[in-house]
Amino acid sequence: MLRRLVLIAVLLLSVGITASAQDSGPTGELVVALPNDPTSLFPPRGADITAGNAARPLYNSLVRLTAENELEPELALSWEISEDGTAYTFVLREGVVFHNGEPFNADSVVATWTYSADPSNDYAQDFAKVTAVEVIDEYTVRMVTAAPDPIFLTQLATGWSMLPPAYMDEVGIEGFEQAPIGTGPFRFVERIAGDRIVMEANPDYWEEGRPGVASLTFRIISDPTTRLAAIQTGEVDIVNRLSADLVTVLEGNDDVEIISYANDRVYYVAFKNVGNGVGTPLEDVRVRQALNLAVNRQGIIDAIFGGQAALVTGFVMPTNLGYDDSIEPYAYNPEEAQALLAEAGYAEGFSISMGCPTDAYLNINEVCLAIQRDLSAIGVDVTVEFKTSNSFWSQPQYGAVGPMYVDSWSTNLGEAINRLQGALIPGNYYTGWEDDDLVALIREIETTVDREARAELYRDLQRMMYDNPPFIYLYQPFAFEAVRSTVEGYAPLPNEGYDLSVVTNAE
Amino acid sequence: MLRYLIFRLLQSAALLFGILVLVFMMVRVTGDPVSLLISREATNEQREAFSALYGFDRPLHEQFLRYMGNLLQGDLDQSQSLGLPNLDLILQRLPATIELAFGSLILALSVAVPLGIASGMYRNSLLDLLARTLGLAGQTIPSYWLAMILILVFAVNLNLLPSFGRDGFRSLILPAVALALAQTGQLVRLIRASVIEVKQENYIRTAHAKGLSARTISWNHILPNVLVPLISVVGVQFTYLLGGSVYIETVFSWPGLGSLLNTAINGSDFALVQAITIFLATFVIAVNFLTDLLYTWADPRIRYN
Repeated sequence: MLRRLVLIAVLLLSVGITASAQDSGPTGELVVALPNDPTSLFPPRGADITAGNAARPLYNSLVRLTAENELEPELALSWEISEDGTAYTFVLREGVVFHNGEPFNADSVVATWTYSADPSNDYAQDFAKVTAVEVIDEYTVRMVTAAPDPIFLTQLATGWSMLPPAYMDEVGIEGFEQAPIGTGPFRFVERIAGDRIVMEANPDYWEEGRPGVASLTFRIISDPTTRLAAIQTGEVDIVNRLSADLVTVLEGNDDVEIISYANDRVYYVAFKNVGNGVGTPLEDVRVRQALNLAVNRQGIIDAIFGGQAALVTGFVMPTNLGYDDSIEPYAYNPEEAQALLAEAGYAEGFSISMGCPTDAYLNINEVCLAIQRDLSAIGVDVTVEFKTSNSFWSQPQYGAVGPMYVDSWSTNLGEAINRLQGALIPGNYYTGWEDDDLVALIREIETTVDREARAELYRDLQRMMYDNPPFIYLYQPFAFEAVRSTVEGYAPLPNEGYDLSVVTNAE
Repeated sequence: MLRYLIFRLLQSAALLFGILVLVFMMVRVTGDPVSLLISREATNEQREAFSALYGFDRPLHEQFLRYMGNLLQGDLDQSQSLGLPNLDLILQRLPATIELAFGSLILALSVAVPLGIASGMYRNSLLDLLARTLGLAGQTIPSYWLAMILILVFAVNLNLLPSFGRDGFRSLILPAVALALAQTGQLVRLIRASVIEVKQENYIRTAHAKGLSARTISWNHILPNVLVPLISVVGVQFTYLLGGSVYIETVFSWPGLGSLLNTAINGSDFALVQAITIFLATFVIAVNFLTDLLYTWADPRIRYN
């Protein structure tokens, strides 16, 4: 009610002052804290989710993902996929211009592909899988992939930021990084390294009603305690990467709202059946089931994370495509675990070594020690090898640690394919477990373009990875963020990504 | 004098070389950085290409020779995580660090000099008590704790000053105070001790005996003699402020060299860690050199041969 009154007052005032005032565009400003300085605002070089978040307001792609993970048109009005699943024909939106006045058309899509697939870019591989981009006419373009690729459209939505061809040719990638230009709801104003990135509303934005504020500033605040202070003082309007204990300070503060959600990141203990995993008891499925039953995961969540994490049943998270909610997490049952070990011929237990990436993740050292304690209860004597992150991941197939190790994997695609491929396809750098049945199923998922069919395959995979587990599935942590109560429309995704084009700030 | 200068220059070069070797080896002892620098979904070919680009696939001595070769041509290499020349990154951040270092040094001196002198002159007075308390506090209160308390009190509770960032003079106050406390404590103790020592010298007694006013004695005889040890300490402290502000800059999101070094270490950006360390080491050596020269000006008795 108050908000409406204020709105009416403001409206009356503005009408009174400028009788001819029409649509004056968005008002207000939004200040968002970033936990680290983005490596680049050129998206194919933006190495992490924070860089993606900072760059997103400047750009559009051809398609975008809704909060429900569904695809919808952005700069493409419609698209068609060829019979064999390798060619995508897009009809482009007309009348869209870049921040420098260049028109958006089929040539922009070609230039985007060319510059993004440059081998010097971190994410070149995502663009290099497109083998051709053909201009059919000014507003029709066809993209061809080497093989049917179910996540192509998702990657198009999350990673392909449309670039202005003439400007790119003029300044090159390095020049572009200093002064990026897109078609997005905000225009780049300035960047001060380590301090801030300033943007303003794009007055020529094609989409009605966006953006919701006139100015957008990102401030780099790497210390979580300082982010907490800055949201309390109102110096910033949105902060992320807080922790459960930090946000307790904000409870009861009417000016600030706490947001928490489960991250799309799974923590696990991995077993190896390559390298030093060959010939170990881990090759027996009953042993791996026993180890899954022996770890008190709820105990870890309660004791180490204050209850602020969720149990997981596999590599597919509840927010991912094809999640099977009929699977229950492994119960904590040391008696059954001991029986299984005895059945496998290890009634007296065994000794094994487990790598732990010291301080690489929140509370990970404590988690490793808790697992060691739980497994010792069923006679499995675990030596925890704490390694700094550089040496932990320094060898292919986790050659520096093992035959067991603790790790985690996140994804921003809304489905689990990346971490499945990365951790289970033989020959990949992070693959420590090889299982032909799993490989065959993952290969099938990789080439199944139909979403429903793919979801079904994911469900089969989860069952398989539950019955014959290559991992001990541990937990999925909660993310904590806070926003000033004047902010509306802010809705972070499970991967910590967000869209600021719809956010308003009534300050 | 000239011989001394040449000797000092050679000594500095040897020192710098030692630091170079040490830093180069130390970052590499932590292991292979490629996994931390490259996307987890990268293919094996991309990993190899990346490794080759920054020479991580070469033997250690070859990497070192390449590094030394570049350095001798004034090339500090490229940052592996940001893809920009390290020197550009350093120069971008240097003004903020110098501003903070000067800010806290001026603050420390303007509190410590009058307070130290007064407490040395008037021992066991209230001022002396204050000075001794400050001296003790400066040496015992950890700066990270102080930084958080300052943010909590002056930014969050009182809403008087910004809690982070570099936005003009107001935002300089809290980080400068947090950084200056330790310096102030050390300086107060030093100046107080020096004043007390100088006061007992024979020439001061003589000055009193020949009837000079207390004011003349203080200004013309005590202060100049307190100045000499002060110069060396201030020189050392300034270099400490430049290199030692890593934590304070990070807490206050002060966009200087300290927070850049923090980012570089967390990201296993070897090239950037090396570049910042070398840059700071050169700076420290240069300041020490200048400090030694300043001695001769402050105390004509000191001659270098």
